[in-house]
Amino acid sequence: MSFKYIIKEGFAGIRRAKLAATTSIFSLFIAILLLGILSRVGYNVYVQAMSIKDLIEVEVFLFDIDERTTDEIERQLRAEEIVLEATYISKDSASAIMRQEFGPGVEELVDLNFLPASFKLKVDTEAGASQIETLVSSIQNLRGVDEVQYNEGLLRIMESNLNTFSLVGGGIALLILLASVILVYNTIRLTIYAKRELIRAMKLVGATNSFIRSPFIIEGVLQGVLSGLMAVTCVFFIFEFVIPLYLPEMGLLSWPFGSWYFLTGAMFGLAVLMGWWGSRLAARKFIEETYISG
Amino acid sequence: MSDTAVIELRNVSLSYEHRPVLKNVNFKLNNGEFCYLIGPTGIGKSSFLKLLYRDVVPDEGSVRVTDFPVNKISMKQVPILRRRMGIVFQDFQLLQDRDVYDNVAFALQVTGEKPKFIKQRVLEVLGMVGLSHRRKNMPSDLSGGEQQRVVIARALANEPRILLADEPTGNLDPKATQDIMNILKLINNRGTAVLLVTHDYAVVKKYPYRTVRLIDGKVQDLAWKGDKLVPLKKEPV
Repeated sequence: MSFKYIIKEGFAGIRRAKLAATTSIFSLFIAILLLGILSRVGYNVYVQAMSIKDLIEVEVFLFDIDERTTDEIERQLRAEEIVLEATYISKDSASAIMRQEFGPGVEELVDLNFLPASFKLKVDTEAGASQIETLVSSIQNLRGVDEVQYNEGLLRIMESNLNTFSLVGGGIALLILLASVILVYNTIRLTIYAKRELIRAMKLVGATNSFIRSPFIIEGVLQGVLSGLMAVTCVFFIFEFVIPLYLPEMGLLSWPFGSWYFLTGAMFGLAVLMGWWGSRLAARKFIEETYISG
Repeated sequence: MSDTAVIELRNVSLSYEHRPVLKNVNFKLNNGEFCYLIGPTGIGKSSFLKLLYRDVVPDEGSVRVTDFPVNKISMKQVPILRRRMGIVFQDFQLLQDRDVYDNVAFALQVTGEKPKFIKQRVLEVLGMVGLSHRRKNMPSDLSGGEQQRVVIARALANEPRILLADEPTGNLDPKATQDIMNILKLINNRGTAVLLVTHDYAVVKKYPYRTVRLIDGKVQDLAWKGDKLVPLKKEPV
């Protein structure tokens, strides 16, 4: 199989069907750009949600129990998978905290001795509300535990909003991806239709289907490469220059995982993948359906 | 398949949407033989060829082309089968965006031949059809006869053992027809079997070779008797 021939034909395909190729490249560029923006915003929403979740603490209030029982409770709390940290707050520490928070006159109003000893638990931010609920019920059953408190309402609202956002965002992303694949598929289908004489001639002289397919797949990949490069440049430009200049309050949005190349790399890879997939689907279907005798 | 046969059909039946085209056909083309397949338009001559290059498969019977049991081979083997035969159609099927040289070279490029060999072979086959001097011309610069000669050159590029020609002179004037027939004779003289589908009786008469007719879904051998082609009487077995 002549590799040079396949590459040459792949490039020539774009040149020969300029309008169809431009439409496909532009559509895929828009799709990948939208996905890039959606990903960056989505990532920041997720990070914000996690930082709020990080503030949620589970407080375990204890009866007046001896040190051995307290140690046993601590051991069991630390053994829980989603508990990252367990800080013991003795009765004295609790009084000190209250004194600090309410000021020096607080002792005249209440007897600070009523404050129980407790554990403050830092829970894994990845843990869902139901996991935390299970944890709370199991802690509540421990001997020596009086009460377990946490901000269940906030957690539930946040989780539900995050789920809705993920579902809607994911749905939109999938639709955009599907639309982009269909566009590439259609462009390659049109290109194949326009080149049916070439395909017939190739079949006539004994070219294999995979050989006939290859230039079309190269063409699809090239469309993906061009769309990806355009989308990456655009996203970089928007987030690094346009937003800081015109919407500085949104300038706080960070690049996913701390560096620009993770998102841009993923966008580029996705564009190439979509180009390859769309063209492969079309090429497989329509080349097999082309007969020598028309 | 007998030793000398390059094409052999045994009890082949073919139908399109329940309309029978070929009924229990038996046919053999020997190595280096020239044969006309004649019959009125729409009788199934092109379908007969399609069976050979595996664009269709028979409902019943077996088709053999050189060593290939055509109706049994996998789709992956079909291109290999097609490289063993040259195919020429009435509509030239040249690629209009490439010059004569590239149109012929294309047949070798798709089969992965080396550039040096491609150059040598293309010039050789263009020489055979008398078009070396036109190698840089585009198909649109050529006459119908010349375009058909380019198609023949492309069909010969892979050195096929069989040349299938479906009405190759159908769109040509008498002079171009004569040129094409002379080239086909030359190719046949070099040992390539030729199966030529035509309904041009003048050609059949002027260049007499074995002639078979497709009639009522059957193949019938014919012979000239005076000015008429008549069914050949089969000798009792």
